Amino acid sequence: MALLELKGVTKVYQQGKIEVPALRGIDLTVEAGEFTTLFGPSGSGKTTLLNLVGCLDKPTGGTILFDGQDLAALSKKELAMIRREHIGFIFQSYNLIPVLTAYENVEFAIRLVNKHSDREIKDKVMGILAAVGLEGLENRRPNELSGGQKQRVAIARALVKEPKLVLADEPSANLDSKTSEEVLAVMAKMNRELGTTFIFSTHDPLVMDYARRLLEIRDGVITLDRRRDEAIVSH
Amino acid sequence: MSFLVRLAFKNLFRHRLRTVVSIGAIAFSVMVVVFARGYVTGMVHSVTADHIQYNSGHIKIVQEEYYRQERLLPLNHSVDGLGEGGLDEMIGKLEELDGVNMVIPRLKFGAMVSTGDELLTLGGWGVNPELELAFTDIEDSLVEGRMIQPGRLEVVMGTKLLDKIDRRVGDKVTVVFNTAFNSLSGVTFEIVGRLKSGLKLLNEAVFLLPLDEAQRLLYMDDQVTELLLVTEDVGKIEEVLPKIKALLSEDGRYLALSYRETSDLIPFMDLAELIYNQVYFFLVVLACVIVVNTMIMIVAERTKEIGMMAALGLERRGIMELFLIEGGIMGVVGSLLGAMAGWLITSYFAEAGLDFTQAMAGIDADVPFNAIIYPSASLGNTVFAFLLGVVIVTLACLIPARRAANLEPTVAMRGA
Repeated sequence: MALLELKGVTKVYQQGKIEVPALRGIDLTVEAGEFTTLFGPSGSGKTTLLNLVGCLDKPTGGTILFDGQDLAALSKKELAMIRREHIGFIFQSYNLIPVLTAYENVEFAIRLVNKHSDREIKDKVMGILAAVGLEGLENRRPNELSGGQKQRVAIARALVKEPKLVLADEPSANLDSKTSEEVLAVMAKMNRELGTTFIFSTHDPLVMDYARRLLEIRDGVITLDRRRDEAIVSH
Repeated sequence: MSFLVRLAFKNLFRHRLRTVVSIGAIAFSVMVVVFARGYVTGMVHSVTADHIQYNSGHIKIVQEEYYRQERLLPLNHSVDGLGEGGLDEMIGKLEELDGVNMVIPRLKFGAMVSTGDELLTLGGWGVNPELELAFTDIEDSLVEGRMIQPGRLEVVMGTKLLDKIDRRVGDKVTVVFNTAFNSLSGVTFEIVGRLKSGLKLLNEAVFLLPLDEAQRLLYMDDQVTELLLVTEDVGKIEEVLPKIKALLSEDGRYLALSYRETSDLIPFMDLAELIYNQVYFFLVVLACVIVVNTMIMIVAERTKEIGMMAALGLERRGIMELFLIEGGIMGVVGSLLGAMAGWLITSYFAEAGLDFTQAMAGIDADVPFNAIIYPSASLGNTVFAFLLGVVIVTLACLIPARRAANLEPTVAMRGA
């Protein structure tokens, strides 16, 4: 079964009396374990699409099935539960809590799930921090970490609860190319080892190089869907 | 400790100065509440205690006609026993009543003393020194000399009165007064003690002499103008009063009045206490404006962070909890500091007193209002102010907390 199925998804924003269409009928299927990049110019609808599949917003029309569940039928509380348990987020500006250490920032995400004992939480947090290469830096606060290290903390925070889907909005935008590559390598490794599905939104060609599926979006429509080992599928 | 509590605690250290200012505002208002409430309570206690000690006892027995003319201190409406029985028998019967601890007789009369240039009008109080020392705090006011003794022509006077008539302890003073037969009489007494009291009445308006001498000089043997009854405690008054009224009904001339019935000031004091309780509430609310303002700033600054937390799955309730805990910690710390500071200040003034003698110089001596106020430092008052601070600050934080919780994650993450 596909992890994500979008059928005829539209999203229209209301700006005063003017209706601004952001997505105009998206049909898309994402299988579990995919490493997908969504690219396109600013204002093309990338972030809107990520918000919809990330259960942060509801579509104006069409249906979104997450793991077979119709998101339109869920309440805000149920959507929050899906985000808490099954979706990890990585943001462009890291969005770490500055007063918490690297360990505590990661701990925050797994504490929300509220399913693990203190011992399990400690093991999982230490394990994921080691996996993203932050062993020994657990007690540093974000202002004591480099940009790359901060983004690794954000990755660890997204992955610690072992989500089905990780959504990354411009994860390399604030990083130099060397650091970007390191961070992408970490995410690719997690994708391989844990089988986590990744969807990126990006302008960065480096990110596209890492992706095994490329989706181009323009004016709210997917204009290109290419898998590495497949022929280009034009919409 | 829950993760949210830990996070809320750490958040307070983001902008230390701002947190300190907010906590300081709460602490200051709670401190003022502790002190103001202690001050008002002390004032009410003082007015009540002075009224009970020097005017009414817990229950006052007077002739009905005397009560109507009390300001004139008439001698022809005295308490002289029940029916054919004498005063001692009446006192004995009253003392036998269950709940009555003490019966204090007083004989009050008008008198005059010459300063050389003018005549001062005074009140003479014939009293039983032993009972007065047992019931009132007059011993604390006796700053020089000793208390009067029965069977002697001696008086105790207030400091201000002695200044006015230019006498000292050990001097003689001649007092002029009307007897019960309306004849003018003058007697010279030895001044054996000097009172210094915040109560204008004791300081300059009355003098004390032995009851037996007052009865003899006024031709009022076995008579007094009033009997003051002291019950086991104030709460027993309502229980004892009907028994006394029943006993007095066999004579028909007397009134038995509880201390509340004989004071014009105490009902106003009760009203003032109620009004002040509302003032304390608004005082803390005022401090809350600073805290709410701080919290609104915090919400605005952390909009993206709130959006991120919501995106990670923290529900509306969790976001509200986080901000309420932050405000609550400020409320607890501020209120605790304020309550402690207020308690210390109130305790200091409870010992030292606040002297308003100059300010109250123009107030009539009949008003039983002590110019030295001793605030009441009580644990109950301190705990009340602490809880008031914590509850009001936490409730006030509901406004910014709701604001934070109502942010849509997608909008918040854009920093809108």
